[in-house]
Amino acid sequence: MTSLLAHPTTALFLGAVLVAILKGQARSVAALVAPLLALWLVWQVPEGIVWQTHFLGVEITPFAVDRLSRLFATIFSIMVFSGALFSLNQTSRLELPAAFVYAGSAIGVTFARDLVTVFLFWELMAIGSTLVIWSAGTRRSYAASMRYLMVHLTGGVLLLIGVTAFIAETGQATFGAMTPHSVGTWFILAAFLVNAGAPPLSAWLPDAYPEASWSGTVFLSAFTTKTAVYALLRGFPGAEILVFVGLFMVFYGILYALLENDMRRILSYSIVNQVGFMVTGIGIGTEMALNGAAAHAFAHIMYKALLLMSAGSVFYVTGKRKCTDLGGIFRTMPLTAICGIVGALAISAFPLTSGFISKSMIAQAAADRHMTVAWLLLAAASAGVFLHAGIKFPWFVFFQKDSGLRPPEPPLNMRIAMILLSVVCVGLGVFYEPLYHILPYATDYRPYTADHVVTQLQLLLFAGLAFFVMLGWLRRTLTISLDFDWFYRRLGPALVRIAEAVIEAGRAAVRTAVFDTMRAVGAWLVARHRPDALLARTWSTSGMALGVMLILLAYLVGFYVL
Amino acid sequence: MDRHWLTRPGTIALLWVVFVLVLAGTVVAEAFIHRHAHFEVTSWFGFNAVFGFASCAVMIVGAKVIGFVLKRPDTYYSEDGDD
Amino acid sequence: MILDHLPALQVVLPLISAPVIVLVRRSRFAWLMAVAVSWVAAAIAVMLAIRVADAGVISYALGNWQPPWGIEYRVDPLSAFVLVLVAGTAAIVAPFSRISVVAELPREQEYLLYAMFCLCLAGLLGITITGDVFNLFVFLEISSLSTYVMVALGQKRQALAAAYRYLIMGTIAATFYVIGIGMLYLMTGTLNMADLSVRLADVTDVRPILAAFAFITVGIGLKLALFPLHQWLPNAYTFAPSAVTAFLGATATKVSIYVLLRFYFTVFGTTLLFRAMPTDQVLMLLSLLGAVTASLVAVFQKDIKRMFAYSSVGQVGYITLGISLANTSGLTAAVVHLLNHAVTKGAIFILIAGITLRTGGASGFDRLKGIGSRMPFTSFGIVIGGLSLIGVPGTAGFVSKWYLVLGAIQRGEWIVAAVVLASSLIAAAYVWKFVETAYLTKPDESSVKAGEAPLPMLAFAWFMVVLCVFLGLDTSLSVGGARAAADFLLGGLR
Repeated sequence: MTSLLAHPTTALFLGAVLVAILKGQARSVAALVAPLLALWLVWQVPEGIVWQTHFLGVEITPFAVDRLSRLFATIFSIMVFSGALFSLNQTSRLELPAAFVYAGSAIGVTFARDLVTVFLFWELMAIGSTLVIWSAGTRRSYAASMRYLMVHLTGGVLLLIGVTAFIAETGQATFGAMTPHSVGTWFILAAFLVNAGAPPLSAWLPDAYPEASWSGTVFLSAFTTKTAVYALLRGFPGAEILVFVGLFMVFYGILYALLENDMRRILSYSIVNQVGFMVTGIGIGTEMALNGAAAHAFAHIMYKALLLMSAGSVFYVTGKRKCTDLGGIFRTMPLTAICGIVGALAISAFPLTSGFISKSMIAQAAADRHMTVAWLLLAAASAGVFLHAGIKFPWFVFFQKDSGLRPPEPPLNMRIAMILLSVVCVGLGVFYEPLYHILPYATDYRPYTADHVVTQLQLLLFAGLAFFVMLGWLRRTLTISLDFDWFYRRLGPALVRIAEAVIEAGRAAVRTAVFDTMRAVGAWLVARHRPDALLARTWSTSGMALGVMLILLAYLVGFYVL
Repeated sequence: MDRHWLTRPGTIALLWVVFVLVLAGTVVAEAFIHRHAHFEVTSWFGFNAVFGFASCAVMIVGAKVIGFVLKRPDTYYSEDGDD
Repeated sequence: MILDHLPALQVVLPLISAPVIVLVRRSRFAWLMAVAVSWVAAAIAVMLAIRVADAGVISYALGNWQPPWGIEYRVDPLSAFVLVLVAGTAAIVAPFSRISVVAELPREQEYLLYAMFCLCLAGLLGITITGDVFNLFVFLEISSLSTYVMVALGQKRQALAAAYRYLIMGTIAATFYVIGIGMLYLMTGTLNMADLSVRLADVTDVRPILAAFAFITVGIGLKLALFPLHQWLPNAYTFAPSAVTAFLGATATKVSIYVLLRFYFTVFGTTLLFRAMPTDQVLMLLSLLGAVTASLVAVFQKDIKRMFAYSSVGQVGYITLGISLANTSGLTAAVVHLLNHAVTKGAIFILIAGITLRTGGASGFDRLKGIGSRMPFTSFGIVIGGLSLIGVPGTAGFVSKWYLVLGAIQRGEWIVAAVVLASSLIAAAYVWKFVETAYLTKPDESSVKAGEAPLPMLAFAWFMVVLCVFLGLDTSLSVGGARAAADFLLGGLR
């Protein structure tokens, strides 16, 4: 039990309490120290099982350390620190504590070696992240957070069914490599994929993330999807279906991002795209591929946070989020623009950036397994990433036409956070050995060969050429693109409205028995449960007594007949 | 208003020239390095350049086509009171 | 020795305290007496439970008349569990009850309420401890009659109507029950449960047994508010004095569920009726309907007391669902949810008693706007209790739901598992309704002005709130006891 004090999650949960209580300087100190303490703890705890106990009749291992968990816990801790630094001047009192709970739960998942604990932290993560979105405090963010919670509660239900079924099937709850061949494992896989932003329930991500505050989105981008990547890495390495799911996500992300006008929605679609690369890697399943997926998750958290920080800074100083309203602001925000470009180069996997040394491992793994089609699709997707995130984001936000906006640079703490992450993105691209050293499997992969550098440059630069040549096709319009969330935001309510309209029309027409029945059926659900409805209203005593008699009669008849 | 040096037509033309030179450079460089292609097609000279351009063109056109079906005014959901 | 007579003392102490209270007629004395009796009863219950865990089933022959001729008191793992639950709840409700009773009742009626409280406690404990089906009927009547009086003491006019309706329904239930055991007596010539169970196995003409089974099922179903026999409950809970609601909400239906378990698995256990007839499927269907429908009704309520009363009907559905699964996990879920729901609802109803104390009896949502800032501890406690009703991990409700889903999956009832989890989303909707009212709505002129509930009340309520979280984290005692009870019950089926 005392080992719980050494759990990095404890540090972040305590930090959440402190940040919620304290004010001013003390709050800032707590916000920065708690993540660093967590990071220190991640590297203090020895590998192996730290704490094991019994819960709900099964043996659970809430705290165990190995290379994979340490890798993810490390990047998560670094991410909380950067995010906290960036959001020090956030006025919402709720957001930072919520983000700490959210991140602490994500770290909790990485150290859990049993499915029950995974589920507990999984749910807590959903609550924490919902609060982060909610704390933006706008009507839109409230509605979006409710839709987000709905999807994640559904995911939680899937996971709970999966975990209980898994325990019923196997009699134990160990979280290790599984293959999706039983009902339980299929449900677990489905729940993981919901959080990874996989189809068909991927729309929650671009729907909800851009509605968070300028700093909230930075936190959101890091934990939910990457915890799912971690869970897939541990639970389903080499599950072939993931190759197809991943490739779908990659292109879904690109195409939707190309159509998008809201800068943070562009980056949200790009998260789906990037997670798609990782999921594909997990599906390929060789040591090289799994290393690549893990490394890519590590690198991605840094550069995606950097991109969203630069977008968040623009949103913070201008209050605008649409590409059509922005442009030309590199004049007064050169630092933000440069940091944004560094992030854009890193996500595009330009040589000397973190994306280059991580993503290429996944492609290499596809090549090693002679998966020609997958390799070609990944290459095309790499070009596509440069297109939608690498150029499109900085071009339309900072350059293109002059919007006339002359906003100042953001406050100091935000600038420091961006510079810090820019250094990390480039630093990882140049000094990649330390990262390779902490990957789950030992590797002697060398990313910088003349061949690799030249071909990658060709691919990316000609993708850039395509962008500028076809710029007219990419003109921003005041539009959004329909996604799966249309089904629950529009189709569902519309069906209800249509049903109501039909019923009303029927009633207005001849009030025949047929129409009355239809109406009764249509209004069944709501009407029955209103306070004045049959089931809810206070019954007359004789009515109740009659009901009891009828039920007794039914029992008796039933027993004698059957 | 004073134009920022980056937005002057001369600078933009110069940037295009530099860009094209770099593009050419990457293709030419291929002749001087040792290639170890993973697949038959990727060993063709300039494959990555063509593939990069072509796949992006296809994606841009593809997005445009999807856009015809799926694009809506960005006030589409506002009528639900979400805005 | 006196320790050997603990089973008798368990019931007799509260029983004789009631006439003493009526004789003295002083409200403060009555309260002290009720507190003392309920604490002693709780202590006895715990001692009995420990002895059962150590030494197995306790059989006590009342007046030294040996069973099956005399009345037997029998404490086994299941009844020990329920005894602790009932007496424990009484011990927590009794001390704080004075605050809300003073506020809600005229002074000259106060002692009556405490007398009835002690009687009701005696009745509920008696039902649980007796091993004799007719003696059970007597205690059922004692607890029911005292409950009718307590509900009628509510100060709104509707309380009388609610009590009257409860009386009619309760009487029908008791009549059905007594008809059922009458038939059993005709067929077997015994009223002792263990004896009945042995003799029923040998009865060849099964038709009267079936009729008895039907009468008892419907009778007890009424008392435990099994959907659709639940109509008496919401009004009774809504209009009773708040302290009474807290006590009844946590115990009354639970004891009836205990009786159902006792009959299904002990008395009728050897006849295998439960499995031979489609009883389990019918029960499963009704339970699911109850869980979903009552939760939906709760979502649309405009009064917080009524909302949580309907939520009780839904939660009872989970318990009977666990019974209908009839495997170890399902029964464990049912028994442990007896406790978990009692703790959760107990906490919620005590906190609501605090709210009505401050509103002068009103409990409509329109009066509770922005209550989160006026009564922060009360509101937050209700939210935690609500999380437990939803079954959020880390709360007691999750543990119950876990075993329920596990039991359903082990039986291959995938749809049941899915419906249970879906219905917890409905619970989320009605809990959210409170959150929205308490935290997201601006107070207006009709909302509560006063501050936090009195400290003793808050302290007892928060004790239960903390217990609610504790039971969600450390399940060794609750699930341990429930599993022992489940194994014991299933042993009766073999």
